[in-house]
Amino acid sequence: MNNQLKVLRAMRNWSQAELADRLDVSRQAVNAIETGKYDPSLPLAFKLARLFGMRIEEIFDDGHEGRHDEH
Amino acid sequence: MVTKDAMMNIDPKSQRRPSMWAPVLIGLGTAALAGGFAGYNQAAVEHGDAALAPWVGPLVAIAIGGIALALYVRRHADWFRSWSPRKRLYWISLTLSGALGFVAAMVMQSGPQGSDGLFSNAAMTPTVAIALSAMSVIGLAIALVLYHRTVDDHERHAYHLGALAGFYAFVFPCPVWWVLWRADLAPPVEAMPLFGLSLVANMIVYFWFKFR
Repeated sequence: MNNQLKVLRAMRNWSQAELADRLDVSRQAVNAIETGKYDPSLPLAFKLARLFGMRIEEIFDDGHEGRHDEH
Repeated sequence: MVTKDAMMNIDPKSQRRPSMWAPVLIGLGTAALAGGFAGYNQAAVEHGDAALAPWVGPLVAIAIGGIALALYVRRHADWFRSWSPRKRLYWISLTLSGALGFVAAMVMQSGPQGSDGLFSNAAMTPTVAIALSAMSVIGLAIALVLYHRTVDDHERHAYHLGALAGFYAFVFPCPVWWVLWRADLAPPVEAMPLFGLSLVANMIVYFWFKFR
């Protein structure tokens, strides 16, 4: 899953360790999310969204943006 | 935009991270000290002298290492106070697990059976066996409860995959070994090699998903 985490972090001039401290997770967790090797759980995604003052779908992109199920 | 959550945290930039060399050196020094006691015991046995009880060396080493670690934490108290309760408990659980594993390994290594003591099947006194069993069950249970309550999302994921790999590393070879033994094609099934294989598989997969 693509995400804007690295950009958002860079805009605030935060290191991975600083972001990890703010989220209360390990630096490895931040790195794994940024590089797309790990998709965060819903609670962590909400925490990220609150920290950056954005909606989850503005940070994460599952590649289906703009597509709606047709039933 | 900085939200309430962000403002509630202490600004990490205001905290100076202490050198990580000190705890590494403390760990190495503790291991070296315990190794010195083990070497003394081995030499004593070889010369026909009385050896120290196997638990003396590891406990003295861990006590000195513990004091050194406490002094290090005290010296950098501001840094450690900036940690969240979750992070503090997480590191306490890891340190406790490491200390327990270290003491258990050193007690076995310090036995009269010599340098192959750690993986040996040699006889053990009931006192040492009961103490090691109690330490493993009670100590590890406490450390694991702390660990599982404090581990973050990403590490839990790595832990689960590692646990699965460890499970498969037991489930596949164990029955194969057993049926081969029944056909007289293999020696009797032993628990410790399977335990070791399971642990190694667990560690490889865990570290891969945690640090890749």
